[in-house]
Amino acid sequence: MDLVTLQGWLDNLAFAVLFLTMLCYWSGAAFRQVTFLPKVGATGMAIANLTIAALLVARWIEGGYFPVSNLYESLFFVAWGLTAVHLIAERMSESQLVGTVTAPVAMGISAFATMTLPDAMQHSEPLVPALKSNWLMMHVSVMLLSYAALMVGALMAIAFLVVTRGQAIELRGSSVGTGGFRDSRLRKQIDATFKSEAVAAEATGGGGTAVLEKVEIVETPKVALSPQRLTLADTLDNISYRIIGLGFPLLTIGIISGGVWANEAWGSYWSWDPKETWALITWLVFAAYLHSRLTKGWQGRRPAIIAASGFAVVWVCYLGVNLLGKGLHSYGWFF
Amino acid sequence: MMSNFWKGIQRYFKRDLLPLLADLRLAIALLLLIAVFSTSGTVVEQGESLAFYQANYPEDPALFGFLSWKVLLTLGLDHVYRTWWFLSILILFGASLTACTFTRQITALRWFSRPWNFYTQPRQFTKLALSSALGQGSLAQVESTLGQRGYRTFTRDQSLYAQKGVTGRIGPIVVHASMLLILAGAIWGSMTGFFAQELIPGGQTFQIRNIFDAGPWAAAQIPKDWAVKVNRFWIDYTPEGTIDQFYSDLSVVDAMGTELKRDTIHVNKPLRYHGVTLYQADWGIAGVRVRFNNSPVLDLPMAQLETEGKGRIWGGWVPTKPDMSEGVSLVATDLQGTLLVYGIDGQLISTVRKGMSTEVNGITLSIVDLVGSTGLQIKADPGIPMVYLGFGLLMIGVLMSYVSHSQVWALESEGQLYIGGRTNRAQVAFERELLQVIDTMETPS
Repeated sequence: MDLVTLQGWLDNLAFAVLFLTMLCYWSGAAFRQVTFLPKVGATGMAIANLTIAALLVARWIEGGYFPVSNLYESLFFVAWGLTAVHLIAERMSESQLVGTVTAPVAMGISAFATMTLPDAMQHSEPLVPALKSNWLMMHVSVMLLSYAALMVGALMAIAFLVVTRGQAIELRGSSVGTGGFRDSRLRKQIDATFKSEAVAAEATGGGGTAVLEKVEIVETPKVALSPQRLTLADTLDNISYRIIGLGFPLLTIGIISGGVWANEAWGSYWSWDPKETWALITWLVFAAYLHSRLTKGWQGRRPAIIAASGFAVVWVCYLGVNLLGKGLHSYGWFF
Repeated sequence: MMSNFWKGIQRYFKRDLLPLLADLRLAIALLLLIAVFSTSGTVVEQGESLAFYQANYPEDPALFGFLSWKVLLTLGLDHVYRTWWFLSILILFGASLTACTFTRQITALRWFSRPWNFYTQPRQFTKLALSSALGQGSLAQVESTLGQRGYRTFTRDQSLYAQKGVTGRIGPIVVHASMLLILAGAIWGSMTGFFAQELIPGGQTFQIRNIFDAGPWAAAQIPKDWAVKVNRFWIDYTPEGTIDQFYSDLSVVDAMGTELKRDTIHVNKPLRYHGVTLYQADWGIAGVRVRFNNSPVLDLPMAQLETEGKGRIWGGWVPTKPDMSEGVSLVATDLQGTLLVYGIDGQLISTVRKGMSTEVNGITLSIVDLVGSTGLQIKADPGIPMVYLGFGLLMIGVLMSYVSHSQVWALESEGQLYIGGRTNRAQVAFERELLQVIDTMETPS
């Protein structure tokens, strides 16, 4: 079997596996009592990840260069990144909800690449002179991984918004450490318990047992000092934040490597080309997200709304720019 | 009088302006505003001619009911990134970044000089979400468990303080400072750098003259005591006939013509000399070397023909009579060596390859060679070292900023072990870690 036929098998397989994975996660979320479904989903994600990896390796051998230079290859690279980041996010959060939002997107990408993209755009083509550089592998793979991470983070922010609709939420994670403190109502109860114990101790020290009994009668219910666990919303929010926190450095490194490459190849590290500009816009939106978490009075659903809108911005940056015109960054289009 | 005035300005700066500039909400607004304004430059075509905007943005009907070419040009939407309003927002952003770096980031360093804050009262633990009072376990046990998990521990009397991931506190400071460095480098580069373009036929020597963009202090950068000789320009083609790579063999020469440096450049591999960089950017066909019958080799120029954007064609005229009353036209589309020969009546006479000859008007015309000219982009940017330093620090800074700074407090008091902690980023991972630590206390091994 030659490499091209193998690729044809692998891309269809990846799509089929991701489709089943999505169904598993969705029915798992609908019927909570069927606990094995999300586990099957996680296995499906892992299989899809390996299938896409095999597809990309086959491409690499066939084309002789790292396969990220046309739309088909880059879509599958992003799908691979999505499945990989999904597995990280699921492990970090131990929440089976992650798959309900990531699986459909990964499935959609592989379906688009496999079925909608014309055959002519699926073939491996020789590289144009400008792209013949070791920077290609570094710049493009880091950029695409950052898109994948930011997409998963943004999707989890969307899941967070759905889970917390109609609630006021205080965020836990930010770089100045506004989180990590106990809910004030709970804290008052514990403080009251501490105080009454102190009174009781004083009473035991000063008088007889009769006084102690009297104190115990008027006492409020005792609340012992024990950890206040994170809720599902807290967990979704925090893992969304951590995954975006992973995507943001990748995006930064990707943009900088592109700038350095452009400077080495053409003598200008920034030229306001549409793709560059949209990468900067993506960076600015997620920088705004990270800062909004630090702002008093903004904590809650507002940062998650910024992150969720970041999902659209990443897509415009990744594919939307193609519609605007030609350039080194254009993958070509088929309308 | 004067000193009062200055004091007033100082007070205004410290009390009103600085807190306003350092306000996070302003920073977020600016980030989003720059993002929104930047999109306009990706939607509206940049740097086109007046006729282009007149044709594509008519006054009636105006796009979205208002965006006619007049409105577009008045707002400067044809060159968004150089308009006064875009640059002012960038300057405001730079000011906000500076204010933030000095008032928030640098002061955050004070955190390090703070004495270790031990908790000495059980009630101090209640404010922490992750805190617990245990009947078992000892401070020594907490210390060794946390030590194994990479915490630095400090103890005093019956209390313990442990922390890890201070890197995560320094990261944002590095990020903000490095962005200031990049901004400064970019401004410095635009003031002292220049941009030039030259299209030079193979074999010729040139000095950098065709400068199309230079900063006000760029004069010192423009080379005067050396020139560049283009030894040869050629293109490698793939077997399918598409371009594989462009090459220029260049020599840097001094006034006497002595070679100072020689290198072959291609796209992605420029030549650098004394702060000036020459990039392979474009190419053309400069001329053709021909022989008539047994004549010596003659150089005839070729020029690019107007095709209205339908591919690139070069043409040249070859006289076949000494009085130039008759001749043929040679047409080429690339440097692969095939030439089309057209007669004076516009009819295709023949095609001829490099190194071959053809019969025209009773004369044997031999094509010796096609001479390519190389299009070079020439640039000096003294701001680059600063920008690159900023790039490097920014990458390190954002990576450092991923680290979560975790702190744990413990106290032994009245037979109880109090333990509690918090972290600034990885809440979920920290919760898991601290619960495990608590678990090891509750299940003595």
